Amino acid sequence: MLEMLREYISGYVALTREEFAVLADKLVVRELGRRQLLVRVGEVEEYLSFVVKGLARLYFHKGKTEMIINIAKEGELIASSSSFLSGRPSNYYVETLEPCTLLSISRAHLEQVYKESPKIEKLGRLMTTYFVLQKEEWELECMRLDTRERFLRFIGNNPELLPRVPQKYLASYLNMKPETFSRLKNHIKKRPVTGRP
Amino acid sequence: MANSAATYLAALEKLHQYLQGYVPFTRSEFRLMEPFIEIREFDKRVRVIHEGNVERYVNFVAWGLVRKYLPVRNKEITIQLASEGHMIHSELSFHYRVPSRSVVETIEPTVFFSISYDSLEQMYEQIPGMERLGRLMITDLFIKSDTRYFNQLRKSTRERFLEYVRTHPQMVQRVPQKYLASFLNIKPETFSRLKHLTRGKSVKG
Repeated sequence: MLEMLREYISGYVALTREEFAVLADKLVVRELGRRQLLVRVGEVEEYLSFVVKGLARLYFHKGKTEMIINIAKEGELIASSSSFLSGRPSNYYVETLEPCTLLSISRAHLEQVYKESPKIEKLGRLMTTYFVLQKEEWELECMRLDTRERFLRFIGNNPELLPRVPQKYLASYLNMKPETFSRLKNHIKKRPVTGRP
Repeated sequence: MANSAATYLAALEKLHQYLQGYVPFTRSEFRLMEPFIEIREFDKRVRVIHEGNVERYVNFVAWGLVRKYLPVRNKEITIQLASEGHMIHSELSFHYRVPSRSVVETIEPTVFFSISYDSLEQMYEQIPGMERLGRLMITDLFIKSDTRYFNQLRKSTRERFLEYVRTHPQMVQRVPQKYLASFLNIKPETFSRLKHLTRGKSVKG
């Protein structure tokens, strides 16, 4: 479990065994069933979580529709990030889609770890930069790419999510109608996707 | 643009104060940063970074007004507006060292305090407290960008318009209407109509 996290972190900084232990010491393991809410709108997100196993989503209600803005799988982070970072009430719900095992750290503990280890503070800076960039990239793609291009790009990058996530959720995440999603999906069944658009 | 040395020093002092909002840097600590800061001046309507170029700088607006836009099928979608004290650059290009898809262009004559990619790396290595400053500034950026994203998705055109006018009255005066409309994702006609509605009335959130 910790090995997976260590691997993830090594993509950002090389922590020594001691530095990693400072962080690992503050982690809690959270086991959750399917369809459990981790955070509700209006609550403050207390944890930043690394998904060891399972799937979770971040969403909000717009009228009667659910708008999904993130789906996290194994090896990714999940949190109502703005709320976690700001300590202000969340605009989003965080819910598990499958039973999940999460490695979580609380805001207070993370602050403490930053003070203890400059290297982990650097990790924090690089991870947060990555979040900003990922978000920017997603927003630019939504503006730049049309529905079909967005679909192909997403499926090309996340083929494993197709059988795991209900289709209407993927459609919501890609900001398209479920009918459109299913039409595009049937289309690629006949002609498999190769590479990115 | 004839700017006196005093004007630059005053702007630099403002940058110092702005950074102090994140980390309490003393004047002598701030002095350590100064050699890394380049002053770059641009006339109005000048492209600071073109589509296809790799962004070399992170820029703080000392004075002036700048926008960032994404060229999409003969249209320009304005994605950021920055005035004095704000940071603007092509982030994805800067961090990933890839050609920029977006364009940064001045609206008014502008002076930047700019830090190059290499300088920034050196600053992180050499200046104590810099990691914290970087982390906190980026955290702030994330929260702002998320709030904007959420508002775009969640709020109505009218709400978005009123909120922006209330929180950025000086931008409404300075920024050409078509850029504001694009930034708020409101049709130019709708924008004019909403602006007309608020004229003569005080805007309440």
